[in-house]
Amino acid sequence: MNTPVQTPVCQVQGVWTQYGPAVIHRNINLEVWPGEVLALVGGSGSGKTTLLRHIVGLTQPTQGEVRLFGMSLAKLDRDEQRLARNRFGMLFQHGALFSALNVFENIAFPLRELHQFDENTIHLLVMHKLALVELEPEHAWLLPAQLSGGMVKRAALARALALEPELLVLDEPTAGLDPDRSEKFVRLINNLRRQLDLTVIFVTHDLDTLISLADRVAVLADQRIIAACGLHELAASDHPFVQNFFKGISNRLERMN
Amino acid sequence: MADADFHVQDNADGSKSIFLTGRWSLRGVDNNFTDLRSQIAPFFSNPFTHWDITGVEQLDSAGAAILWTGWGHAVDKRVSLRPEHAALFEMLAALPAYHSVSASDGNVVVVAVQRMYDGCLGFIEHLVEFTYLLGALVLELLYVLRNPRRIPWKEISANVYKGGVTALPVTALVSFMIGIAMSYLMALQLRKFGADIFIINILGLAGIRELGPILMAIIVAGRSGSAMTAQIGVMRVTEEIDALTTMGISRVLRLVLPKIIGLVFVAPLLAFWTSAWAIAGGMLAANIELGINMEFFIDYLPRVVKPVTLTLALVKGLTFGLLVTLIACHFGLRIKPNTESLSTSTTSSVVSAITTVILVDAIFAVATRSIGL
Repeated sequence: MNTPVQTPVCQVQGVWTQYGPAVIHRNINLEVWPGEVLALVGGSGSGKTTLLRHIVGLTQPTQGEVRLFGMSLAKLDRDEQRLARNRFGMLFQHGALFSALNVFENIAFPLRELHQFDENTIHLLVMHKLALVELEPEHAWLLPAQLSGGMVKRAALARALALEPELLVLDEPTAGLDPDRSEKFVRLINNLRRQLDLTVIFVTHDLDTLISLADRVAVLADQRIIAACGLHELAASDHPFVQNFFKGISNRLERMN
Repeated sequence: MADADFHVQDNADGSKSIFLTGRWSLRGVDNNFTDLRSQIAPFFSNPFTHWDITGVEQLDSAGAAILWTGWGHAVDKRVSLRPEHAALFEMLAALPAYHSVSASDGNVVVVAVQRMYDGCLGFIEHLVEFTYLLGALVLELLYVLRNPRRIPWKEISANVYKGGVTALPVTALVSFMIGIAMSYLMALQLRKFGADIFIINILGLAGIRELGPILMAIIVAGRSGSAMTAQIGVMRVTEEIDALTTMGISRVLRLVLPKIIGLVFVAPLLAFWTSAWAIAGGMLAANIELGINMEFFIDYLPRVVKPVTLTLALVKGLTFGLLVTLIACHFGLRIKPNTESLSTSTTSSVVSAITTVILVDAIFAVATRSIGL
C-alpha cells in the first residue's frame, strides 16, 4: 500500500461551542493521524465528551468544522453520510447496547443493515467479533441486562468493530471497571489496534489507561486545547491544570522506566 | 487503493486459478459483497480450482468470511495465502459453527394448546403477584397507622396534584363534549314521543351513575396510570428502587401507597367533576334543541336524581380509582430492565385498567339495578 500524502483521520478546525452564555470550546484545533491513539483529557465539564460528540457528528459546533476522513459529515447527503459513518465505530460510556436485543443481535445489527451478507456469514462475523473482544460464544445469547459491566463494554466494543472501522471512538472506555478489568480492557484495545490497524480517539479520567494506551494526549482546559503532545513532553508542562492532573504521572512514568 | 476484484486464469491441466486483488474489506466503501459473492460463487463448487489471495491489498473478517464459507469452512492446499491472512482464517476456524434454527416444531394444535397453557399460567402468575402487592399494601397501611409519622404526606399531595388537579381541564372538556352529543341524540328521539322533559332524568342518571365515573376512570388510566407504570418501571431500570431499599425505605410505602391514597382520594371528586360537566353539556344542548330552560333544568334535576345515586357514584369513583392505581403499580413493578418490557408493560397496564374498570362497572350496574331508580 502506498499512501503518498496522508490526510488526517480527524481534523477539528476552529471549533467554538456555546450553550446560551456558556462557552464550552474556544477555537479548538486538533488533528488525528492514521494509526495514532489520541487521548482527550480535561477536568469535569471541560467539554471532552462534547468534543467527542462533535467529532462523531452527533452535535454540531456553533462555529468551525470537524472533518472526518477529509469530509465534513454535515455537508454530505444521506447515503454518503451513512457510508462515512460506517467507517468509524463508537463505544459509548455505558455501552448503549440495545436492551431489547441479545448480544448476538446487537453485534449483527450493523451487519444486517448493510444488506450484503447471508445469515451464515453474519453468524461467522459475529462470532469472530466476539472472539476478538474475548467473549465466549455462549454469551451471544444473553441480554444486555444479564451482562456484567466489563462484558457490556466488550459487547459494545464488538458492535463498534462489526463494520471493520478505521477509526474507533471511545468515551471513557474504562470508567466503572475495576483496575484488573480495566487493565485487561486496555490490553484488549491495544491488541485490536495492532491487529486491525485502527486509529483511536478516546476520553478518559484514568491515568493508567492514559499511560498504557495513548500515543499523544490532548488536554482540554480553559475552553482550549492547551497541549497536544506525547506524555513525556506533557509532564514538563507548567500549566496549573496539567500540573495538578498529572502530578502522579511523572511518578508513574519513572516507575515504568 | 482498488476495490475488491478477482480474475480467472485457465491452467494447462484444465483447472482454473482465481487471483484475488484489491481490498477484500468492509473498509473499501464501494464494495458490494452481495454482488461479489454471486460473481465468485460458481468457482467455489469446483474442488480443483486454485485460489491465490496473496495479491489482495487488504483482507478483513468480512472478506475472509465470504471466502471461508465458500470453501466449505476449510483452507486446504489449493489456497495460497500470506501468513498474516492464515492467522485470520485460523481464527475463523476456531469459531463455533452455525446451526440454523428450525422455524417451528410440532403441529398447529399442539402449539395452540401450548400457547393457551402459557397464557393461563401467565394470568395465574399475574393474580399471584397482584395478591402479593395487595398483601404488602395492607401490611404497609397497618404499619403506617401504628407509626403516623411515617405517612408520606408530601408524596400523597404530589399525587393528588398530578393525578387530580392537572386532570381537571381534560376531563371537563371531554365530558362536556360527550354531554352535548348525547343530549342532541336523545332530544331528537324524545321529541318524537313528546317526552322532552325526560331528558333531565336521562342526563342526570346517566351522567352521575355511569358517564362520570367511567370517563374519569378511562382518562385517569390513560393519563396517570400509564405515567405511574412508566415511572416505576424506569426507576427499576435505573436501580432507583434498589437505592430506596438500601436506605431502608420500603418501595411499597414510598412509591405505591402514596399513589393509591392520592388517587383514591381524588377519583370520586374527579368523577363528580366529570359528571357535572357532562350534565352541563347536556343542559346546554337541551336548551338549544328542546328549549328547556336552564334554571328549570337545575331546579328539576334533584327531584329525579335521588341522593343515593350520588353515593353510588362516590363508591364507583373510589373503586375505579383504586383499581386503576393498583393495576398501574402492579405492571410497573413487573417491568424488566429493557425498553421492550417497558413498552409492553405500559400498554398492558392501560389496557387492563380500562378493561377491568368496564367489567367492574357492568357488575355494579347489575348489582345496583334496584337502587336509586
